[in-house]
Amino acid sequence: MRPSDKIRRAIAFYFCAALFCVLLPIVLSYALGYQIDYHNLRIYKTGILYVESRPAGASIYLNGRKHGDITPAQIEELKPGTYRIVVSREGFYPWERDLAVRPNMVTKADRIVLFPVAQEMKKMGERGVVDFAVSGNGYVYYMKRSGLYRSTMDGGSMKRLSAYSDWPDRIIGKSFAPSQDKFLYFTDSKVWVVNLNYNRKAKDGAEEAEVEEVFAGQDPITGVFWYPGAGYIIVVTEKDIEAAELRSSGTRNVVSLYRFNSTPRGLYYDESSGALCFTDIGTGKDFSESRYLYRIDLKQKFFDQLFDMLLKKEPDSGYEKR
Amino acid sequence: MKRDKLWKRIFEIIPGFLTWATLIGLLVLAFVKPIWVAVFVITFDLYWVIRTLYLTTLLLFAYRRLKIERRYDWIKRCKALAASGGLTYGDIYHAVIFPSYKEGPEILTPSIAALERADYPKDRMIVVLSVEARAGDAAWRDAVRLREEHAKNFLHFIVTRHPDGLPGEVKVKGANATWGAKVLKDYIDSMGIGYERVVVSCFDADTCADPEYFGCLAYHYLANPRRTRSSYQPIPVYNNNIWHARSVARILELGSSFMQMIETMRVEKFVTFSSHSMSFRTLVDVGYWPVDMISDDSVIYWKCFLHYNGDYHVIPMYVMVSMDVATERDIWPTIVKQYKQKRRWAWGVENFPYLMMGFMNNNRIPLGKKIRRALNILESHYTWAVWAVIVTFIAPLPLIFGGGLFRQTAIGYNLPSVSATLFRMSLLTILVCMMMTMRLLPPRPKDVKPQKVLVMITQWLLSPLVVATVGSTPAIDAQTRLMLGKYMHFQVTEKSRKK
Repeated sequence: MRPSDKIRRAIAFYFCAALFCVLLPIVLSYALGYQIDYHNLRIYKTGILYVESRPAGASIYLNGRKHGDITPAQIEELKPGTYRIVVSREGFYPWERDLAVRPNMVTKADRIVLFPVAQEMKKMGERGVVDFAVSGNGYVYYMKRSGLYRSTMDGGSMKRLSAYSDWPDRIIGKSFAPSQDKFLYFTDSKVWVVNLNYNRKAKDGAEEAEVEEVFAGQDPITGVFWYPGAGYIIVVTEKDIEAAELRSSGTRNVVSLYRFNSTPRGLYYDESSGALCFTDIGTGKDFSESRYLYRIDLKQKFFDQLFDMLLKKEPDSGYEKR
Repeated sequence: MKRDKLWKRIFEIIPGFLTWATLIGLLVLAFVKPIWVAVFVITFDLYWVIRTLYLTTLLLFAYRRLKIERRYDWIKRCKALAASGGLTYGDIYHAVIFPSYKEGPEILTPSIAALERADYPKDRMIVVLSVEARAGDAAWRDAVRLREEHAKNFLHFIVTRHPDGLPGEVKVKGANATWGAKVLKDYIDSMGIGYERVVVSCFDADTCADPEYFGCLAYHYLANPRRTRSSYQPIPVYNNNIWHARSVARILELGSSFMQMIETMRVEKFVTFSSHSMSFRTLVDVGYWPVDMISDDSVIYWKCFLHYNGDYHVIPMYVMVSMDVATERDIWPTIVKQYKQKRRWAWGVENFPYLMMGFMNNNRIPLGKKIRRALNILESHYTWAVWAVIVTFIAPLPLIFGGGLFRQTAIGYNLPSVSATLFRMSLLTILVCMMMTMRLLPPRPKDVKPQKVLVMITQWLLSPLVVATVGSTPAIDAQTRLMLGKYMHFQVTEKSRKK
């Protein structure tokens, strides 16, 4: 090895060794959250504050003093203690909170939502809307005095589907079928179904939707659900649970599935499992009466359905006490 | 004897134990003390960046030296040298031993042709082609044909057949080379040539030496007053088939060449590797290459080092010998082939127990020198086995296993950004590698499209991926085998050159 190469190598080696010795404490102290006070020649612990807001670009104030960065920001080398943090942006309500910055730790304020001072409002469609329903596939259906209309979620592509205008004044609830091709609405005594696929290939001016009254009863209705498969609806009144057939050319089949001992409370229907839960008065093992939670499985199990199909047996909706 | 066996086993276990203790220790600590591991990872990353910076600087120094010495007229310099130790330029004979197994004429002919192109007088060059008997009659017939074709161009062309299963031998290249050297000795004795006047080079079958190689070697040999106490190491490059090799193989082989260039700048750690040269006197005195070890190229250095009580060195020569890139047609077989080749190189860890046993039986080597050399060899194999695993797999462990509390600490929060910054800094080396690749590449063959040049440069972007897959794993494999006493057998890297 040439002497000149030896000298070069020695310079490179000592330079790299010195670089390592200098950089290591700096990098490690930065990573660990330590800060060197060069004036007083001492090392002190610091903490990190991470601030993120929606929308981003908001100013950050620490104890009333504006910080140079805007959100999202990582504010380092903070002395441990409690800081009054204010996050603000013009046109939005400010966010403020007292946050404790701990030594060698990170304090995160990363779920800040800044709400606009004046919420932007937009009129969707024309006047005369009695009620509306929103489907799962992104359409808004307007029940208007001039008919049934449909638009996209932003109010665009407005289209009249039907001239039907006899909407009741007090609609209690609405529900779309899982297939999104029809929806039902009900008052305290009647249920209607709007068939949206009534005449899909309709030409201009023709009816594309059909509104049909499918149930009318004496007892006040508390809930209406789509039976799995959507050929029936389940109507829950204060007195009983009934299954009403949707498509019927003659007499509509309405079956009473269960009669309540008392007015049910806390009605719940799980669409995926087809389970209907409610409370009712029942008799316990000690023959005393009490309120129980019941469940009816409206959706048949796959093998039950197969079995029914093979034996041509009528579906059976059992219920069990919980 | 029993005591020696025990010590040998202990020394065989140490490298693998250190590697596994480090990796398992870091894995366990990542669960129980993630902050400790994070501090270690940042320290190691910084160490690695600065080490890379240092080694890259040495690579540039070595390249500068190579560029300068390529311009030298070595024969002229040899002639200008005054007689030293009774030797002048006209006294030096070169003997080249090719230990061969099944390498056919398509591999050996270019290697012999490279000798014919040498700017050294051929009437002072002897070629020994030592073929393994177990390679069969076809290999022997090929060797004889090669002698018939090329013998006229050299002082002598010896073809010999290395018998299989000689006592004390295992199936390794060193045994074949030793057989060839013994046959060569008979010829030299018959010619009455002094052993000091013969410089022997042990070349792999695919080794093509630069035309200046033998002039350069003769100069270094003559200029060195302690010529028999030195080995002479050229820079191995893998240019023979580099334009046709897969990018993974190219990156790894170019990386090996760069490492060898860097090693030329660290002579105190320098050990012979692959094709190398030495005085025939030395070779005979130390009892030839080892016949029962895989890493014959480095063990011969340690054999000389122990024989001469630590007074033995490697002289770097800034002249290139070109070999084949271990490659295949498809990517996966190429990775497997590269893995096996690197594992064979990593089996050089067997030098550690060999050296330690030698140190135990030699009181004439200063203790400081023993410690330094033992630590050098241990550190190089240990670093090889752990660095890629630490950088790629251990580094994210504190974040994965450290839990929510760790991620709330400043170091847990800063670890990804600090590691990423240090990693990016180390990527600067890639730029140097790209530049060096272009400088060291042989001319593009006619059947290779011009746009391949771009691939040759951009291939280095794959290096982090290559490092993660075959960076450390061959070394871990080799050390684990040695630790468990499951000794490796020599596996010839099959040469696959495009015809």
